[in-house]
Amino acid sequence: MAAFLNLTKPQQRGRKFEPQPASQLGTASLVKGVLDSEGVVEIHGTFHGRINADCLILGAMGNIEGDIVAREVRIAGRLLGRIFALTVTLEETADVTGRIFHNAVTVARGARFEGRMPWRPANYFETLDQLPETQP
Amino acid sequence: MTMFTRNDKSQDNPAMQPSPQSAKSDTHATVTAMTEPKRPQAYAQPLNAASSATHAPSVSLISKALKITGQLESTEDIQIEGEVDGDVRAVSVVVGSNAKVKGTVRGEQVQLSGQVDGKIEAKKVILTRTARMSGDVVHQDITIESGAFIDGHCKPEYGKTDVKAPKAAIAASNA
Repeated sequence: MAAFLNLTKPQQRGRKFEPQPASQLGTASLVKGVLDSEGVVEIHGTFHGRINADCLILGAMGNIEGDIVAREVRIAGRLLGRIFALTVTLEETADVTGRIFHNAVTVARGARFEGRMPWRPANYFETLDQLPETQP
Repeated sequence: MTMFTRNDKSQDNPAMQPSPQSAKSDTHATVTAMTEPKRPQAYAQPLNAASSATHAPSVSLISKALKITGQLESTEDIQIEGEVDGDVRAVSVVVGSNAKVKGTVRGEQVQLSGQVDGKIEAKKVILTRTARMSGDVVHQDITIESGAFIDGHCKPEYGKTDVKAPKAAIAASNA
């Protein structure tokens, strides 16, 4: 499984595209493993592992431990781990510990963030075949 | 202007009726006046996630575009339309007609319209006409619609613990 991030929107890709409702992991859910999606994923529960998605939304009740690779990421919940995304938004209720590799980042007033936010050019995310090893 | 137009005040004439914030220090007044119109824009966008938090769903939906490799657990309902490679456990599991699950599906109630390679363990099992089940089904109550495909055993199980308990009791009384 490649971490390669397809920056073109699903509509523009060759395959047949049907708009899908966003995938949701509810507040009562606990998921461990790898999550691959071409669409929007909303996480309101607990997730441990790795997420590859086009757009990831972490709800205020959500809790993720692990790495996120996406085109767009919105965090309103708790995250322990790394984000690799072109655009990252930390909402007021966000509580993030780790690293945010981004091309553009928004941090709302009140958000808690501990760690580093290295900026990367857009092509860094296109050629992201393997996630770098970083010290936490 | 009516009496209770707190929000309109600053817009109508900020100079005549300065807000208490700007009244504190005149030096900062110009700064806040400059930043104030911009500020709502800055976090107007992010706020919608906070509003979604108020109605955070407890049920889970794995849509068609999603693949999960690993373990999936919930104390509520799960609807799967995508692909799951691993075990699923929830109160009620619905496997949609284009969904694929490789692994064990456990729950109080399991409704299968898609494909399962593995095992189903549930009190109530419903296999619809589009279901493809490869593996065993352990159930208390099963519904199989015409057209459903099963390759495996269907095994009823009426509470193992009820059988064991009397045996244990007998062993205890003998000892």
